[in-house]
Amino acid sequence: MISGLKGMLVTLRWLGKKNITANYPKEHLPVQERFMGFPGLLWDETAEEPFCTGCMVCVRECPTQCMTAIMHDNPNAVEGKSHRRKIIETFEINLNRCILCGICVDVCNFDAIAMSHEHELASFARTGARADLGLLLDLGRKFQTEVSWAPKGADRNVASVVLAKRAAAEAAKAEEAAAEAPTEATPASEAPVAEKAEKQEGGES
Amino acid sequence: MTTESQFETVDMMLNMGPQHPATHGVFRMVLKVDGEKVIDVIPHIGYLHRGTERLAEVETYGQVITLFDRVDYIANLNNELAFVRAGEQIMEVEAPERAQYIRVILAELNRVASHLLFIGTYAIDLGAMTPVMYGFRERERIQNLFEHVTGARMMHNYMRIGGVKADVPDDFVPWVRQLIGEVRKGVEECDKLLSTNEVFLGRTRGVGVIDGPTAISCGLTGPSLRGSGVAYDVRKDDPYEIYPYLNYKVPVGENGDCWDRYYLRMLECYESLSMIEQCLDQFPEGPIMAAGRRIARPPAGEVFSHSENPRGDLGVYLVSDGTDKPYRVKIRPPSFCNLVGLATMTRGSYIADAVAILGSLDIVLGEVDR
Amino acid sequence: MNVTLSDTITLSVQLFALFNVAALAAVSLVWLERRFLGRLQGRPGPNRVGPLGLLQPIADAIKLMSKEDVAPGSSQRLLFYAAPILVFVPAFVVWLTFPLARDVVVRNMDMGLFFFVAISVLSIVGLVLAGWSSNSKYAILGGFRAAAQLVSYEIPIITMILIIGMLSDSLDFVKVVDAQATIPFIAVVPLAFVIFLIAGLAEVGRTPFDIYFAESEVVGGPFVEYSGAHWAIFFLAEYVNTFVIGILGALLFLGGWRWPFGADLPQVASVALLMGKAYFIVLIIFWIRGTYPRMRIDQLMAMAWKWLIPLSFVLFLAAAFQLKFEWPWWVLTILSLVILVVPVIVQSRKQRNPALELAARYAANAIVVQAKPRPAPAVEDAPVVTPAAEGTSV
Repeated sequence: MISGLKGMLVTLRWLGKKNITANYPKEHLPVQERFMGFPGLLWDETAEEPFCTGCMVCVRECPTQCMTAIMHDNPNAVEGKSHRRKIIETFEINLNRCILCGICVDVCNFDAIAMSHEHELASFARTGARADLGLLLDLGRKFQTEVSWAPKGADRNVASVVLAKRAAAEAAKAEEAAAEAPTEATPASEAPVAEKAEKQEGGES
Repeated sequence: MTTESQFETVDMMLNMGPQHPATHGVFRMVLKVDGEKVIDVIPHIGYLHRGTERLAEVETYGQVITLFDRVDYIANLNNELAFVRAGEQIMEVEAPERAQYIRVILAELNRVASHLLFIGTYAIDLGAMTPVMYGFRERERIQNLFEHVTGARMMHNYMRIGGVKADVPDDFVPWVRQLIGEVRKGVEECDKLLSTNEVFLGRTRGVGVIDGPTAISCGLTGPSLRGSGVAYDVRKDDPYEIYPYLNYKVPVGENGDCWDRYYLRMLECYESLSMIEQCLDQFPEGPIMAAGRRIARPPAGEVFSHSENPRGDLGVYLVSDGTDKPYRVKIRPPSFCNLVGLATMTRGSYIADAVAILGSLDIVLGEVDR
Repeated sequence: MNVTLSDTITLSVQLFALFNVAALAAVSLVWLERRFLGRLQGRPGPNRVGPLGLLQPIADAIKLMSKEDVAPGSSQRLLFYAAPILVFVPAFVVWLTFPLARDVVVRNMDMGLFFFVAISVLSIVGLVLAGWSSNSKYAILGGFRAAAQLVSYEIPIITMILIIGMLSDSLDFVKVVDAQATIPFIAVVPLAFVIFLIAGLAEVGRTPFDIYFAESEVVGGPFVEYSGAHWAIFFLAEYVNTFVIGILGALLFLGGWRWPFGADLPQVASVALLMGKAYFIVLIIFWIRGTYPRMRIDQLMAMAWKWLIPLSFVLFLAAAFQLKFEWPWWVLTILSLVILVVPVIVQSRKQRNPALELAARYAANAIVVQAKPRPAPAVEDAPVVTPAAEGTSV
């Protein structure tokens, strides 16, 4: 009786207190900065293209095999706007299979994928769980603006930085070459790269 | 005239579960009852079998950690710790001190969260609806911290063989200190509400009694074993991580009834909170990942490692054949072993007691069936 | 006695009004319980349908009515469908004799208290039939539990009603209320109110006595196989019964519509006063539900037969002596408080104190593990890399 009455006082004290619940669809609790929602693909604004080159590392390392990716030649690289010779063409994540473990983010060498803060992607049909490249990029861009995301390896992965570095290196080389033998042409260094890229594309298809 | 002995009756078989509100998931027990008395219990398991151990054989070490998150889905970090420690033993690496502290803090917090869930669901089993809300309230706070540190509320995938995935955020220490204060208040509230409530005492004192030797022979571990007066705690008897550097108490029961098992968990909550405080006092600076390859490829060999889960002694037997995937991962799940004692405890009690006893073992079906 | 057409029509209108009042009260209770329990637990409760979720019970009712009405193939159809009605009808019929204020009553009877007792017992039949006809093991366990529980707790509740009848010298509700114009019976016999509340809780199956439909044990008991409208009828009857306990407590112990004002208020105010008291008792019932766990069936029976029934007989004798020797009323108060304190002390000695001792001992006797001194951190000299820094490919 006595303890029971004390317990009744414990419950009674809650009458005056505020709710501990959130009024869910009207009121969304903020997520923490490190929150791992569905993965999103990040957008390299300096080159107006995704970071992702379709290297398939995340596809292979995913514990649930929820991803597929196909790469193609990067038109921006041909135009010289980007350092990525290959770029993602299609990327699909089956959100029904994704377990939000974050392994894809850990293994990515190109800062291309991140766990976004999006976690409410319910849909009325199964096909709604197929996140294609457009949706993934949307998630990624939203995430980038939300947390003012910065790439971990900016000197390797951000197009403008890499191009500037490359240009600087080339300028230095050109300077060196000009100092040594001005007749040596620069296109020689470009040719094998393009060849290799073609070969890679052939292997992919 | 027919006497009772001549008048043959058939005992009723009462099928409890797998879809029963009190069986904590998809556990099924067939009760042989004589009126309200339980004569025998036949437990049936396997409804949540997901083939974790087999799956672990075809996934890399890094991926297996995500499986361990899902073995005991109430105490994810404790389970990660168990596998990661096995992996470290077989690879003969040691996590840096700071990583060990982070792991222990998170694991102890997860123990508190798990016990809070137990208190809530146990109260629901016994018909009280309020403690579950209080328990969940505090558990949510802890999960908020987890979200802040690991990025996920339940399936963290945070620990790595040789350390942890990422360093804790800058506000980790003050946040945890504040959290401890709040959670302690919440545990006290549950304590006041339930522990000595007369109806609760009536339902749990002297119910499901199991003595020490029987408990050992049944293979009980964790609070279920300590409730019977056997002072066995892996943290104490086979210290791991930085537990040797902490002052703590291992509460031990006397009667081995449901109330003892319940109350020891309550006391363990307080102990865990004080352990976390000590960890925060000693919290060192330094790296969070041991040197070595990022992809684990341990030498061929085998290792058994165990640690104290909220439910008891969680063992991981790991065999490596030198590739990046384990050859065999055997999990010794405390819930499954605790379930062995169920029939012994339940025989001769009432139907309502069967629910109370099953609740007091605090099984997690994900771990029982794996 | 001649029954004229106008009498019949009046009665029909009254019954219709009564039915609606009772149903409305029950529906309001559903809302109140969910909101109140929500508050106790730090959550809002239903808050979507209508302002403050007021229309939630209506939405629930529509949902239940539109559900398919399933009966198990092996059930006894006739009894299966008759059982809800057998539970429902007594729950409403008792309202015939409840005066909500002076003259606000369908039929005021001289034997009102007796009528209540006689009718309310009937609902047990419905519960047992529901359990039996469902042909389910859980249902029959629940039915048996219901029979045992409800029959046992009839005795203390009837004894308490009898004591009230003795004190007020009548079985007529209006006269019972009139007898409490200055002092409500809760002040005269507090123990009677406590016993009435406990037995009343058991009678309507509220926590801690919701044993016959305990969802974590017998999964709804007699109601386990019911769905849709039939289940809704059980549900409605349960809440009507809960409100009956509230009204009865207000009429018998809290002075009905008279105390604390003494004289009769205007009718609307009288009804409001009575309803206020009834809702107060109902809130206490909900509050208990928010705090206590459920008892076990044997403990429940032991409580009835070992505590409540002897105590109520002792109280009955005390009341009889007080009336016989014309002691002042406060003698009975003191007597009943003394009788109330005895079980509390005994029970506390038996259960609470050992548990408190044990709890203190467990906390004190825990095995202490002493910390070893931590080695100096200088040991960690090996080259270490963070995963971010090491960018090896896979």
